[in-house]
Amino acid sequence: MNDLSTATSQAFTLLLSGDAQLWEIIFLSFSVSFRAILFSAPLAILIAFGLSYFQFTGRRFFIALFNTAMSIPAVVVGLTLYLLLSRSGPLGDLKLLFTQEAMIVGQMVLCFPLLVALSHATLQSVDRRAWETAITLGAHPFRAVFTVLKEARFGLTAAVLAGFGRIIAEVGSSMMVGGNILHYTRNIPTAIALETSKGSFAQGIALGIVLLAMALLLNLLLMYFQGKGELAL
Amino acid sequence: MTVITKVQSESIKLHKMNYIRNKQIILNNILFEMNSDDFILMTGQNGSGKSTLLRIIAGLMKPDCFQLTYNNTINKSSWSSSKKILRQKFCYLHQTPYLFSGTVYDNIAYGLKHKGLKKVEVDNRVEEALSLVDLQHLFDRKSHALSGGEKQRIAIARSWVIQPKFILLDEPFANMDKHSRSSTYDIINQLKADHIGVVLTSHDPHSGELNFNRHLHLHQGKMVEKDTPLNLSSIHF
Repeated sequence: MNDLSTATSQAFTLLLSGDAQLWEIIFLSFSVSFRAILFSAPLAILIAFGLSYFQFTGRRFFIALFNTAMSIPAVVVGLTLYLLLSRSGPLGDLKLLFTQEAMIVGQMVLCFPLLVALSHATLQSVDRRAWETAITLGAHPFRAVFTVLKEARFGLTAAVLAGFGRIIAEVGSSMMVGGNILHYTRNIPTAIALETSKGSFAQGIALGIVLLAMALLLNLLLMYFQGKGELAL
Repeated sequence: MTVITKVQSESIKLHKMNYIRNKQIILNNILFEMNSDDFILMTGQNGSGKSTLLRIIAGLMKPDCFQLTYNNTINKSSWSSSKKILRQKFCYLHQTPYLFSGTVYDNIAYGLKHKGLKKVEVDNRVEEALSLVDLQHLFDRKSHALSGGEKQRIAIARSWVIQPKFILLDEPFANMDKHSRSSTYDIINQLKADHIGVVLTSHDPHSGELNFNRHLHLHQGKMVEKDTPLNLSSIHF
């Protein structure tokens, strides 16, 4: 208990002192995960829309596939990508292993099924009349898609946040394809794993606090928008 | 009041229309034709396929079989080209209308935004539409804060403002009180005055204020043209 409180107080000191290395790791972590979610979300949401609004053979199979892929372990994604990107792998010539790009790809693979599954659940619950009304009022089908997405914006935002939560905290994939290289591919989860293995609990806890604080901030923002501007605390 | 003056009557004919779902024949070799001066009452028991037919006519639902003739010249039998024509010409109103999130203004302006109008013009048209339904005071009200009757009237104004050739009203008087119903009659009569063809399905036996020139009746998947009706009060449902 004593160790925990000492480490926590040291963590706050580290954070407040503006430790450059610590803040670099934090920035890198959010930069990688933001890019991963940014690249994944549009396509995932469009696929979810297709699964919700169009009837085609194999539709249920794809839904089951995405639902299953939600629970794929991060380390399995990391291992698969490692084998693909390693020098002897089929994509070895791309020289992406141990780069931020590889971390982004890994995180995209991880959050994609979650984004599709949650967006699909959200879009399924949007009233079908929204689509029909948009079309009958003369909207081009693309515009009608955006109208439906707008109607589902709170649920879709929650899906994106859940996807972000999944990747910002994952360690398995980032460690395997990023390599935890200081100043280049070290992010919050891999740094926590490293610091903990070294016994530097203060830095690990500080990074954990940042993760939680950011998660809280994002959720408060979501609540703010869901409450249409009123933060119901 | 109306900005666009309609002079040319347009006609549309959908024939050999079939629609089967779960091995049940909903529409059986239906012939539907109307022109933009028609004011049609469509009757039929619950589940007789009135809403399905209206949605097909509006290009929102694909029939199993059909043929489209537009203005006696254009013939189409492919759904992708037919639905474009149908969607351009018809505007369908659900029994319980769907209003998008946002304000009443956002809803009425929605259809105008595809027409490349300037904002001033959109504002004027929205104002006109609101005065048509006598709800100018709800201009900036959030759509979720409206009553059922107000929603229905706003939905009609939203359709009217884009000036379609035909409007399909699916049970517009359902769940309406006397006051809302009476003001909706006025709005529907205005559609007629604007030479917008109207098809209306209704179970409301109390109206004596809508004079239709045609009466279609759906029964067991077949449609029958009845003698020219009178008004809603004289029809036995």
